[in-house]
Amino acid sequence: MPPLPMTEPVFLILLSLAGQPRHGYAILRDTEKMSAGRVRLSTGTLYGALRRLLQDRWIERFHEEDNSRGRQAYRLSALGRRNLQQEVSRLKHLTRVANLRVAPKET
Amino acid sequence: MLVLFRSLLYLYPVAFRIEYGEEMLAVLSDVHAEVQRKRLVTRVILYAREASGLFLGALQEQMRMIFPSQGFQRRLTMRSEFRFPKATVALMTIILLAVIMTIEKAKAISESVPHANPSVGPIQPAYITIVPTFLIVFAGVCVCGALLWAVLFAFHRSGVQRLSDLDPSAAPRSRTGLLG
Repeated sequence: MPPLPMTEPVFLILLSLAGQPRHGYAILRDTEKMSAGRVRLSTGTLYGALRRLLQDRWIERFHEEDNSRGRQAYRLSALGRRNLQQEVSRLKHLTRVANLRVAPKET
Repeated sequence: MLVLFRSLLYLYPVAFRIEYGEEMLAVLSDVHAEVQRKRLVTRVILYAREASGLFLGALQEQMRMIFPSQGFQRRLTMRSEFRFPKATVALMTIILLAVIMTIEKAKAISESVPHANPSVGPIQPAYITIVPTFLIVFAGVCVCGALLWAVLFAFHRSGVQRLSDLDPSAAPRSRTGLLG
């Protein structure tokens, strides 16, 4: 499966897990915070994406000592981190090109 | 509201529910606790979004179970290269022209033949027929949706979707069991 480009929710989920392992509710809050409230995932959407990411081994389960209330934490796998870095590089390149094209030209 | 969310979780495939059901309930209860502090309108919007997310997620997981190789997993990536097929545009144009020509032809025939059928009454105004038509269409859509869901559920119960998961190269498990 070609890993790039990825959808914005998937990108935000991976970005959320890049810093530290998080459980479902923390991912929801973090993605909302990162997108300044623009992207607010529903629980169904989140777990559909988590299931696919787990299946493709982009993320993995992280076993905490205290996993009370049925919470399960996830973290980025090496493959997921590599794909995320590729996506960030791709977006950086696009942003650079966009800045060059959109920025007002000095006469 | 948690009862509704719990009920919607039952729409998911059993395997998915076993693996993620408890986690999702924990997240939903956290969301529920957070939403309680918000205004009524915000609460309604958030609940509606959670419910629709669960419903659509369940539908997608059911489809994935039934058609595991049909590319439902590819929604992970965005396909920006999709283009509308040119052949479809040409076909639609031809069909549209054919429909217009048929209407014109029917008008010409209607005008050439004298209206001598007394059994045909006056045509009713549109507002009289719109509501019953809408109700009939709505009922039809509901019935079709229910039938589709029943078929998908029957497929799921029959285990057809698991056939593609079988690995033909794997050794049959029952052989050792029977001989041993």
